[in-house]
Amino acid sequence: MDYTFDFNAVSLAPLLKGLWVSLELTVAANVIGIVFGFGLALLIMSPFKLVRLPFMLLVEFFRCTPAIVQIVWIFYCVPMLFDVFLDPITMGVLALGLNLMAFNAEAYRASIQAVPKEQIDAGIALGLTPIQRILHIVFPTAFRASVPVLLTNGIVIFQQSALVAIVAIQDLMYQGKSLATETYRPIETFTVVALIYFAVSFPVTQIVGLLERRRQLLVS
Amino acid sequence: MELDFSILSKFQYALLLGLWTTLKLTVICIVLGCALGFAVGLARTSRNIVLRALSSAYVEFFRGTPVLVQLFWIFFCLPLMLGVELSNFTSGVVALTLYMGAITSETFRASLKSIGPEQFDACVALGLPRNVQVVNVVLPQAVLRAIPTLLSNCVSLFKESALVSAVGMADLMFVGQNISNNTARPVEVLSVVALIYFVIAFPLTRAVSVIEARILGKLAI
Repeated sequence: MDYTFDFNAVSLAPLLKGLWVSLELTVAANVIGIVFGFGLALLIMSPFKLVRLPFMLLVEFFRCTPAIVQIVWIFYCVPMLFDVFLDPITMGVLALGLNLMAFNAEAYRASIQAVPKEQIDAGIALGLTPIQRILHIVFPTAFRASVPVLLTNGIVIFQQSALVAIVAIQDLMYQGKSLATETYRPIETFTVVALIYFAVSFPVTQIVGLLERRRQLLVS
Repeated sequence: MELDFSILSKFQYALLLGLWTTLKLTVICIVLGCALGFAVGLARTSRNIVLRALSSAYVEFFRGTPVLVQLFWIFFCLPLMLGVELSNFTSGVVALTLYMGAITSETFRASLKSIGPEQFDACVALGLPRNVQVVNVVLPQAVLRAIPTLLSNCVSLFKESALVSAVGMADLMFVGQNISNNTARPVEVLSVVALIYFVIAFPLTRAVSVIEARILGKLAI
């Protein structure tokens, strides 16, 4: 291979600017996903079939189609169908947030089902209203049990956020792509971009592993 | 606005051709990726520290970076590194196989872990050589236990395969975007594309839960 590497061609400033956008998208999508994901989980566990079915379909739709199709769909179709024109970042947050919401709803559902029935009975015995039971008993327990999965989903969304580059949001991937074209140094640029994504994701996955191991110790 | 789904009938062959590319790519990468994943899964549980470190680095790297970045990297870098021109399809296969290998190796590792140490003791007691051990004792059980997760990995791969459209491969997503750009009817075209992906992926995820219940029942674990 007669290729001379030149990592000096890769200027970090635009990449870091892009990383900031990626992180913003990730954090905002996670807020939507963690908060509304729980509400969605309650809806898909509703005892009423008419409530449950449409939301189950929604969740399955987000889980069974490629994220890129969802992002492109939301970018092109939402403005046409509903006549709303939002700035690209908001649209990106919406697309990623909805996707994450569906995945988190499934995570919450599993841990809500794992909340012992006695706790809810105790709540009834204490005279708590259904809303109080959900807020003070079900949510804290289920949330704590879902933290590892929520974190994993959160980091997956960080990686999926690279897809918004396709609809021209100036995130890390987008900046990397334009830098690669400007400098004619795709190998070096994409290597650095990959390393940046890795440097953010890797510590989080290690933390998840640690949390899971600790949980298993507590359970056993 | 008015929706007119009839324009799609003109493009059904193009969409089917795109779907065919997507499915071909997915199936090839599933087969290659599972084989790679099993080997890497074994390497990660091996006693050789070099093998373990290398395989861990590979898996962590591919799980820690976006698939889109991996795709771009392989599209640009592999031809330069190897010094040969690679077709779009080959690069796509290489990229998605490496990704599939990384995620399935984790699945296999988990199922390998679930095989009790007494089984290995039994192998030693029976005097089975290492290759017989792997092929006849470890592999069948590991695969059986891994099936539900493997299937969901396959669904993930099927969904991730839509990314190859970003590097100009004419898969379902690429064809769909092209048609939507040419006809200026994104709502109809993109919705149908999403529906096609859904119709294929959804039954598979259902199958995962059914098979999971069956296998768990059978193995009583």
